[in-house]
Amino acid sequence: MRLRKAGAWLQRRAENIAAGLLAVMFAAFVVQVVFRYLLNFPVGWTSELTVVMWLWLVLWGSAFVLREREEIRFDLIYGAVGRRARIAMAFVFAVAIVVLYGVSLKPSFDYVSFMKVEKSSYLKIRMDWLYSIYLIFLVAIIARYLWLLWQLLRGRDPAAVDVSKTVSGL
Amino acid sequence: MTTAFALALLAIVVLSLLGLPIGHAMIGGSILYLYAKGLDIGTAAEQLLNGMYTSFLLLAIPLFILAAEFINSDSIIDRLLRFCNALVGRYRGGLAQVNVVQSIVFASMSGSALADAAGSGKLMQSLMTRDGKYTPSFAAALTAVSSVIGPIIPPSIPLVLFALVSDTSIGYLFLGGIVPGLLIGAVQMGLIAVTARKRNFPVESRVPLRELPRVTWEALPALMMPVILLGLLYSGVTTPTEAAAAAAAYALLVSALLYRSISWQDVYKSLATSARITISIGMLIAGALVFNYVITVENIPKTLSAALKAYELSPWVFLLAANILLLILGCFLEGTTILLVIVPVLLPTAHALGIDPVHFGVVVVVNIMIGLVTPPYGLLLFMMVKIAEVPLKDLVREVMPFLWVMIGALALMTFIPEIVLFLPRLLGYKG
Repeated sequence: MRLRKAGAWLQRRAENIAAGLLAVMFAAFVVQVVFRYLLNFPVGWTSELTVVMWLWLVLWGSAFVLREREEIRFDLIYGAVGRRARIAMAFVFAVAIVVLYGVSLKPSFDYVSFMKVEKSSYLKIRMDWLYSIYLIFLVAIIARYLWLLWQLLRGRDPAAVDVSKTVSGL
Repeated sequence: MTTAFALALLAIVVLSLLGLPIGHAMIGGSILYLYAKGLDIGTAAEQLLNGMYTSFLLLAIPLFILAAEFINSDSIIDRLLRFCNALVGRYRGGLAQVNVVQSIVFASMSGSALADAAGSGKLMQSLMTRDGKYTPSFAAALTAVSSVIGPIIPPSIPLVLFALVSDTSIGYLFLGGIVPGLLIGAVQMGLIAVTARKRNFPVESRVPLRELPRVTWEALPALMMPVILLGLLYSGVTTPTEAAAAAAAYALLVSALLYRSISWQDVYKSLATSARITISIGMLIAGALVFNYVITVENIPKTLSAALKAYELSPWVFLLAANILLLILGCFLEGTTILLVIVPVLLPTAHALGIDPVHFGVVVVVNIMIGLVTPPYGLLLFMMVKIAEVPLKDLVREVMPFLWVMIGALALMTFIPEIVLFLPRLLGYKG
């Protein structure tokens, strides 16, 4: 119970961070527009900041903010089958993603650390730091799906999906 | 097509069918491809990171979502609805007509159909069913189909995605969406006018003409948002992304200072909701970036284009086939997935046949938007079932007539490209 409470608390903080990243992106854009068009003094660092925020927002959010039921998936079958079939289906895809992301962990680490030779053009931040969010993302997703596997093994239904909760931008 | 590619494709399809989120399925399948081919698996990371880091255009998506969230406050919606009611409430089936007109108005401020349905659409639903004026299932069906207009009239998230996969000018795509969006609205209003007489829909009390200036004045600051957005976009003063940012900033200013309808808490809520939507689409984009690399390595679109060329297809036959294919896929798949995965495969063929990319883009997006209300899988249908608490079966029955007239409108804009291209050409598009 305490574990669940701590988890919910952490998830709210993760959402705070995601909202913060978006706020910074938005603010940077406003600064950019004001500087370029009102003060006639173009600045470059804002556009760099915005893409960094975008990259981090998506990967951070996918790792820690988005709930299972919010993700875009094909749920015509997943949502329609019985509990046992759904557990079996989730078991297969969870194993697949743990294995595939697991295999890619080392090569991804190699790529990201290789990027230390480059720095971003304006803010001069080392690219391996900027790209490190991908490694965090991989590890978090592997951990999430391991947790899901553990839940499935204990016979818990991986959530009867509520399609009206799917978050889509269309 | 190599064995490795067949394997990866199989993995993506199977994992998606099993219920794995599609973004993860695409990344996972691509990793499998790299592994089977003996290529560096780190390429997946490289493609995803560099792709996300360099597509500046994509930043317009979170900004459009944010702008719509800011404008989506009850008091602004209320003023805009009163404005729409003053325009068309006086006709038979007045509230039903208001529902379409408000969708057109909100379409010019937001780029998402689901956001429109959840915001102003939800309010229309309760207005239409109050005092038993309309049946809940008709009101819900109408709210669903009129929300479809949202992403066709600019701003539009799916058109930004199409611009991304096709390298087409976002400005001309947006212009191309205006007339088709109005056309969809027109055929819906026509159908309502016919139905209203048959089913004897109520008339709203007439708003006196002398009230009109006041009602318009009150709605004006909100109505200025699309003017500012499109003005910045077409004067070429700012980049499309900057125009999106300016629109969001304007929306925030209007709701905070002028209408005083937004608190700090609301601002946070808008940010958090927008962040969630951005993450959800962003993950699909990330998956598509990795998988599109695989498709490019395999040269799939060119191969397909060459294969189709052997059949000496006419552009019309191709457009018809593409439309039917997308409509069928739209019954089962979420639209973003179709845009990011299926459409890139069709693009080289469309290009080889000399089909105008702006025309093709708008047709594809209208088609995919219709997919939001086609059973069995239509996100707008699911959302309205939740909002209106009506059975899906009744909702679908009321949606069907609208579906047919919208498909008719789609056919019109498919075979008369001028419907799409007239406005862009007027403003300098050389296509």
